[in-house]
Amino acid sequence: MRPILFSLLCTAACVKGNPIDVGDFVGTGGKLELPECGYAVTTREGADAPKLGLEAYGENPAPRVVHLGLVGDPKTTIVAQWRTEDETTLATTIRYAKGADLAPSALTETKTGVVFGYQSGGGDGLQHVYHVHQAHLCGLDPGTTYSYQVGGSDPFTHLDHFSPVYTFHTAPDIAANPDAEVVFGFVGDSRGEYDIWSQLLDQIKMRSPDLILFSGDAVTLGITQPEWEDFFGRGESLFANVPMISAHGNHEANAINYYAQMALPGDQQNFGIDYGYAHITVANDTPEDPSAIAGAFHDLIQSDFAASANARWKIFMHHQPMWSASTRHGSNLMLQQLWQPLVDQFHIDLVLNGHDHDYEVTKPLVGQTTQATNATGTVYVVAGGAGAELYDNDMGFWTQYSEKTYNAAIIHVRRDQMTLSAFRQDGSAIGTGFDKTK
Amino acid sequence: MRRLAIAVFVLACGRAWADDASADRAFRDAEARGSIDALEALGAERPATRWTDDAWSEAARLAERAGDFARARRDLEQAVATATDEALARRAKAELARLAAIAGASGEWAAVAAQHEQLVGRIAHGDPKPALRELEAIVDANPRYPRAALAMLAIGRGWERDGDAATARVWFERADRAATGAMRDQVGPEIARFLIRDGSLDDARRAIAEVHDRGVSDELEQSLARAEARRTLRWILWAILAAIVAAAVVTLRREAGSWRGVGRRLVRLPSEVWFYVPIALVLVGVAWTGNPIVARAVRAIAIIGTIVAWISGAMLAGVRPIAFRRAVLHAAVAAIAVLAATYLAIDRDRMIDLVVETWRSGPAAR
Repeated sequence: MRPILFSLLCTAACVKGNPIDVGDFVGTGGKLELPECGYAVTTREGADAPKLGLEAYGENPAPRVVHLGLVGDPKTTIVAQWRTEDETTLATTIRYAKGADLAPSALTETKTGVVFGYQSGGGDGLQHVYHVHQAHLCGLDPGTTYSYQVGGSDPFTHLDHFSPVYTFHTAPDIAANPDAEVVFGFVGDSRGEYDIWSQLLDQIKMRSPDLILFSGDAVTLGITQPEWEDFFGRGESLFANVPMISAHGNHEANAINYYAQMALPGDQQNFGIDYGYAHITVANDTPEDPSAIAGAFHDLIQSDFAASANARWKIFMHHQPMWSASTRHGSNLMLQQLWQPLVDQFHIDLVLNGHDHDYEVTKPLVGQTTQATNATGTVYVVAGGAGAELYDNDMGFWTQYSEKTYNAAIIHVRRDQMTLSAFRQDGSAIGTGFDKTK
Repeated sequence: MRRLAIAVFVLACGRAWADDASADRAFRDAEARGSIDALEALGAERPATRWTDDAWSEAARLAERAGDFARARRDLEQAVATATDEALARRAKAELARLAAIAGASGEWAAVAAQHEQLVGRIAHGDPKPALRELEAIVDANPRYPRAALAMLAIGRGWERDGDAATARVWFERADRAATGAMRDQVGPEIARFLIRDGSLDDARRAIAEVHDRGVSDELEQSLARAEARRTLRWILWAILAAIVAAAVVTLRREAGSWRGVGRRLVRLPSEVWFYVPIALVLVGVAWTGNPIVARAVRAIAIIGTIVAWISGAMLAGVRPIAFRRAVLHAAVAAIAVLAATYLAIDRDRMIDLVVETWRSGPAAR
């Protein structure tokens, strides 16, 4: 029945690249310690064990869908990730140096990265093995601009197969630069219509973010690869220069594709990072075991909130909104019941969600009660309009503003102020956002 | 001598720290007031402090939010000139480039752009017609406005939201003619999507053919194929329902012997309806407390179920005993009618997409 419904309602797409057959692929996951970074690369079931890159080149080793992630301290580490046009190249090298927009010849530092395969549906009804390359750079200088390119240099043909040169910036050290401002792009629910996704990313790029916060639902069905190619491919000019951290959305379906292609801290589901004056806690509200929402995941969130209790600005990002007046999904009452007490207890400033494809800002809330100012309450923002078909919006007693529109937002964080300004796909500003001064 | 040097150093540091602290306080106060004037005044103060560039940058952000693009631009130029850190300078330069794209290289479109942005916001809420007409007038009065095509798209979306698909289409087509360069890549897919939503699938196919981006046209083709499949399915289901209704009427007429007899049978409430309606009312009531799209679909399904039960009951009212084959056929036809009507009910408001999402991802936790 399901296949019939799927074929009626969906149409398969073709995959870019040339996936190799599954053959004797062993997708039991594995772990590779990176001593210089102080952490390990861990792959899950569905992927093979990570290994250091090898001098093996396929018929077209050109890197593509280059994107940056974060696993360690964003002041001193970054992860460059990419795939190649073919699926047999295992060469995984990064060349980098301090400075913006350097020529390839000026990239004097070289490092070998990590490569692993994962098994996924290819949109053609068959299973294939795809490969991800990761280069983990650690020991970088805070608040510094670097140029880099990824790929490999074939020692037999003497041909270079490197990407263009991209640039990234490490997070500032606020102890050394107390006036440092950081800027986050905030966006979610791109699935389905990637031209709108491209337009919004262009708008975000114009606003020079340091980090992208993605609230989930990158693709319609996480277990098939083709949409992921669109998601990363259309964002390459941004994602190759700005790292992204993501919350897992229900459409990702805990697929190996998500965990393989998103370099994220900790278990990749529930984690926290400090970036400038902000502490960002990220959680998965669609765990494989739904009871984790009340159990293990609840406790992990609580631990991260407690560990970051003294952070100047606290942001909590997950996919399904506790507060939403959209007529499609609306408020997730279970999360409201289980997670909002933590939000209230630890005085989180801003909660970021997607899931409902509109733009919504709540009044400041504590429990079920709206507050006169955001000094005492938490504001919840839904910005789930990055391409997926829009949902009708509505108003609840908690709603400050709602609009049915494709949208994204920019968050500015300085020592004493955090602001969120949203905009539509054409760049026009949405009047209501978030401003808080401490 | 050494002690004197240390004393001078400590005094100098103390003075610097005091200056830092007072600059800190001044910026914090200006930030908290959210006043562009105060931030600009702070930015203009000399000697400059580490917060000078931040003051100009924040003033620019507030000026843009207030729709004053010219002032934002001036403040950003000051931020670039006084920048003490590379990140702020880089960002301010990028913001200047973005403002130039909105308001023109020398700010010549600043006033039009401000009106455009303000009206787009108004279109999204309440009765959009006044704002739509104002924006139409602005577009007509400024044919060389570089973002005219985007304004036209906003007008098209606004009329569509207001339920006037014909006027929406006129504006989408105007946007298509006005768009140049990269803007064409935005307009073409949007028109195709509008036509798919509007049910003008043949026109949508032609619009998709004009989209050059292969990835986007593939996505649009998929949407179109889905819309066509659903339209075909709707037609088939409506045809089945019409055939079932016709068969029921003919059977009822034959068994009742006359149209008057048909009326008599229908007036008497069959026992199936007495059983069904209270249950349906409870379901409708419960659904009404939750998702409005689901509630509308449940109400429609409940009404359809009542009609099917009523007609079914009326048809069986005078037939005793009921042959097994007849009973099976009757039940099968009733089931088909309910299934067809149920699909049509969930196809409305695109609730079918919600069903598919739930099928794939499981129910949302509540």
